[in-house]
Amino acid sequence: MVRRDFLKSTVKIFFLLISIISVSVFSIFTYPWKFKRKELTFFHATDEEALPIKGVRQVFIKHIRGNTQINSKAFIVNSGSELFALSPVCTHLGCLVNWYRPKNRFLCPCHGGQYDMNGKVVKGPPPADLNRMPIKIEDGKVYIGLRV
Amino acid sequence: MGKIFDWIDSRFGVKQPHKKFLERPVPEGVNYAFCLGGASFVFFLMLVCSGLMLSIYYVPSEQEAFMSIVRLNNDVTLGAFIRSFHKWSANLLIITIILHTIRVFIYKAYRPPRELNWIAGSLTLIIALGSGFTGYLLPWDQKAYWATEVGTSMASTVPFIGKYILYLIRGGEDVTGATLIRFYSMHILYFPTIMFLLLWAHFHMIKKQGVKGGL
Ligand code: HEM
Ligand code: FES
Repeated sequence: MVRRDFLKSTVKIFFLLISIISVSVFSIFTYPWKFKRKELTFFHATDEEALPIKGVRQVFIKHIRGNTQINSKAFIVNSGSELFALSPVCTHLGCLVNWYRPKNRFLCPCHGGQYDMNGKVVKGPPPADLNRMPIKIEDGKVYIGLRV
Repeated sequence: MGKIFDWIDSRFGVKQPHKKFLERPVPEGVNYAFCLGGASFVFFLMLVCSGLMLSIYYVPSEQEAFMSIVRLNNDVTLGAFIRSFHKWSANLLIITIILHTIRVFIYKAYRPPRELNWIAGSLTLIIALGSGFTGYLLPWDQKAYWATEVGTSMASTVPFIGKYILYLIRGGEDVTGATLIRFYSMHILYFPTIMFLLLWAHFHMIKKQGVKGGL
């Protein structure tokens, strides 16, 4: 009987250990660590003299993620009264929009979403306006903020 | 723990009807080779747990599948570990099922009244191989793509209906996003469900017929 009790408690301790380890691994795995650690970083996008007096300029922000170089697209808009940066990510399903000069609109190639120069939805399925990105100008250089 | 279980079981009642089964004497002549079926079951449970965790981050779409695997490997804490865990359990499952099958064959445990359980066991092996094949496509990289391209093209060599089987598996002429969704659905919904039903039948028959002892 002693042997049986010993085996029984060994099995119990084994299952208890496995449960504790599993629950810890599950929690660590599912917790969004990286999401919390993302910080706003400013990247050089272009120079001030290259900005339009009035209009839209497409820029590419070069940055490195892991060991791959990424070119993130962004738009710098000068509406005449205000200068701001717009994210090209369509608020519908995330395709990248293009600036279409003849109509003065951002067009989404995926489901026909359209935005005006200020990023406001004018047509199509997008539920919200284009997102603005943080922008700053220092010493004639234009920086755009990304969360990486 | 025991108290909580007893409280539940005094209302739910799974212990009483299984008492005879749990306390049955083990037949003469069993050895450690008789653990291979149980080992396979443990690997299957490990696959279910790690698979359910992978599915929290995996995105089954043509455009995102590969990126989601890269994210799992690089950004998710323990992501690479859970992927390896899933991969190793999958390979070890196949190995233990095959060894288990060999053991059953050597001990002639497929003979009446256990023929149907041999059939159920063979079906689990087929489903496990199917899970491995469909899971291999999911990372959606070049290796996965070409393995599936070559693997599925074998179906077209079946006489007369080969082409139709091929289109059915691929969801079209070529391996595309449609194939990925098909494989994903098979891999995480159809096959695990079928597997659970088969294993339930397998264990039910063992309970009724007992384990066949040594030679
Ligand atoms: C409920 C059960 C299961 C779920 C939810 C599940 C889920 C998944 C998911 C989401 C992936 C993609 C992630 C990745 O590639 O790392 C995957 C991959 C894979 N699965 Fe499963 N799976 C299950 C059971 C199985 C079984 C029973 C087998 C094999 C016998 C298996 C073999 C594989 C293989 C070989 C891969 C590719 C692994 C890789 O390349 O990293 N899975 N599974
Ligand atoms: S993603 Fe832009 S309109 Fe659907």
